[in-house]
Amino acid sequence: MAQAVSILLNQELLALERAVGELRRRNLPIESITVGPGEAPGTSCLTVILSTDEAGADMTAKKLNKLSGVREVKHFPLDDGVAREVALIKLGATEQHHAELLDVCELFKATVVDETPDAVIVQVAGTGSFVLAFIRALERFGILEVARSGSVALPRVSADAGAATPAP
Amino acid sequence: MTEVLTGAQILCRVLLEEGVEVIWGYPGGAIMPFYHALPDHPRLRHVLVRHEQAAAHAADGYARASGRIGVCVATSGPGATNLVTGLATAHMDSSPVVAITGQVARPMIGRDAFQETDVIGITLPITKHNCLVRDVTELAQRAREAIAVAREGRPGPVLLDVPKDVQNQRASYEPAGPESVLRRVRSVPSPLSPRPLAEAVAEAARLIAAAERPLLMVGHGVILGDAYEAVRRLAERTGIPVITTLLGISAFPESHPLHLGMPGMHGEVHVNRAIQHADLIVGIGLRFDDRVTGNTTGFAPRAKIVHVDLDVSEIGKNVPTTLGIVGDAHQVVTELLAAVAPRDCIAWLEEIHSYARPRQERYRGDLSPEHIIAAIHDVTRDRCTIVTDVGQHQMWVAKLYPYQRPNTHITSGGLGTMGFAVPAAMGVQLARPHGPVWAISGDGGFQMNLQEIATMVQEKIPVKMAVFNNGYLGMVRQWQQFFHGRRYSATPIWSPDYVKLAEAYGIAGWRVERASELEAVLAQAAAEPGPALVEFVIEQEANVFPMIPPGATLSEPIEAEPVATAGD
Repeated sequence: MAQAVSILLNQELLALERAVGELRRRNLPIESITVGPGEAPGTSCLTVILSTDEAGADMTAKKLNKLSGVREVKHFPLDDGVAREVALIKLGATEQHHAELLDVCELFKATVVDETPDAVIVQVAGTGSFVLAFIRALERFGILEVARSGSVALPRVSADAGAATPAP
Repeated sequence: MTEVLTGAQILCRVLLEEGVEVIWGYPGGAIMPFYHALPDHPRLRHVLVRHEQAAAHAADGYARASGRIGVCVATSGPGATNLVTGLATAHMDSSPVVAITGQVARPMIGRDAFQETDVIGITLPITKHNCLVRDVTELAQRAREAIAVAREGRPGPVLLDVPKDVQNQRASYEPAGPESVLRRVRSVPSPLSPRPLAEAVAEAARLIAAAERPLLMVGHGVILGDAYEAVRRLAERTGIPVITTLLGISAFPESHPLHLGMPGMHGEVHVNRAIQHADLIVGIGLRFDDRVTGNTTGFAPRAKIVHVDLDVSEIGKNVPTTLGIVGDAHQVVTELLAAVAPRDCIAWLEEIHSYARPRQERYRGDLSPEHIIAAIHDVTRDRCTIVTDVGQHQMWVAKLYPYQRPNTHITSGGLGTMGFAVPAAMGVQLARPHGPVWAISGDGGFQMNLQEIATMVQEKIPVKMAVFNNGYLGMVRQWQQFFHGRRYSATPIWSPDYVKLAEAYGIAGWRVERASELEAVLAQAAAEPGPALVEFVIEQEANVFPMIPPGATLSEPIEAEPVATAGD
């Protein structure tokens, strides 16, 4: 089962490089990796989805927790959390299929965020497989370009989901 | 008192603050301001090595023998990259080495300047922490942090990269007061013991009381944590036999009736069988390395494992653990000692001894490793520190030298770095100026760093060097013999005339070809006031037995040469 590992880092490339290097060295199957600003100023949050078991995620978290610049590492099975990604998809001229496109968008709760006579950009958010399904559904409209964010994740609110390894 | 100093002067001051007495290094363009400041700080003894790799190994040897940090210094580019093997060695064996490298001036960074290299990027995976100092105003703080990180918790190497213009910049320097609080640069592993320490210790004591076939497995953590006495008392109170890993050798006196020996790939048959028959293994300060466990799926199949380690990320990494206890070896073992009930394991110890096979002299020549190591022990007794290299001689020494005193066996374990012994022994010698230090190498490893004899001569470092010369890269040749149909590809190795080599360096040298010559030559070598070199010409195809083949379990030792088959 997939595991989410979320790593709060100092906002510096060296800390990011250390964390990513550790993941590479441990030779773990990475499904998704993404980095964005952390909650506190001066921090980044690296979110990794790993195809491993809970013990593998736990060992990874412990190794990551030793690194310079790593502040906190959390991990949880994806089933005990919520993971979402955003994708932007640029399509070619869709004038004759416009209504059809809007139907598909509505089905996937996607929105058109940019429109010119030559192209349309639509935005979708959801789990990785949901986003992939949407992209497949758009293939017949002629995809020009896709940008995917990778997954961010949070453990569910319910009690004792996820184990935190906070730094003192 | 605040003074205005250059970055280079600040670096020297911080090293002195931290009690550093010796630094190992090699000057060059980007580190010249530091070398300019050095003569003004005569309490910092600088040893000029002949290759930066030796500086890192010497700092490592110094750190392991002294329990303090070892410092090495190199210039940018090739100087820094030459440190890499030494840093990786220190990283694998948890040794607190502090490396200071010069870097090109800040305006040149990123422009592929002369002798520029991204040493921070290069050493990222082989240091515990590293840092590029961006301004002189942060230099003292970064240097103090680097030293603190190297020492704290599980020790390890750190690297401080200091641009040349930062070394020349001036800033006010304030000596570190006792109240100076270090910024936390890394999250110290929190005590993530599955349970609180007292509870875990009580559980361990219960497991020990219930076990019929318990073993203590003792590793480097016992030496780093200065837990010899506590471990010895624990063993004596419970009667549990003690196994010492390669880096745990000398953590427990070998003459002790409870001492069994080294486990793993070249462990004695009875030691590995004890592991396979044990119902409880209490591992203290070791990481269950693959050379110790063999194939982990068949490792200690009947045993519950209690693993005591300072580093939470080691527990459960290689072998499944019944109980993990995170903590310093000394602290945990002391508490465990108070919690265990006295018992003995007499029947179990007898059973283990019944597994033992008498050592078979398979040696065809006259000068066997057994003879040589016994003779070295005769001349050094228990007063010396032995530093070994990597390969067959390393295993022979580990198995045959009867270590009695704590931390008198130093070797490259985790990384298995050939060329380690000679430079590391220089560091050991300066940490223990009054004790004899022997560097034992094979003819392969010795030739990797023999240039350091010049350093020993120039700096009057009286290391005694022993070279086991079999004309082969012996351990690789042994694998070729056992597993590659005797195809001795690239393992025959020619050596120079070592007696003449010694003469060229102006030191005493001998060649020993017969057992009858051992006593006299070793006595003379030991009596030499300066460095000395003794070559032992041994049988070319001597092997280390027993051997667990790679991928096999500890139950499957090879105890004799495989019979050559057609096609070999």
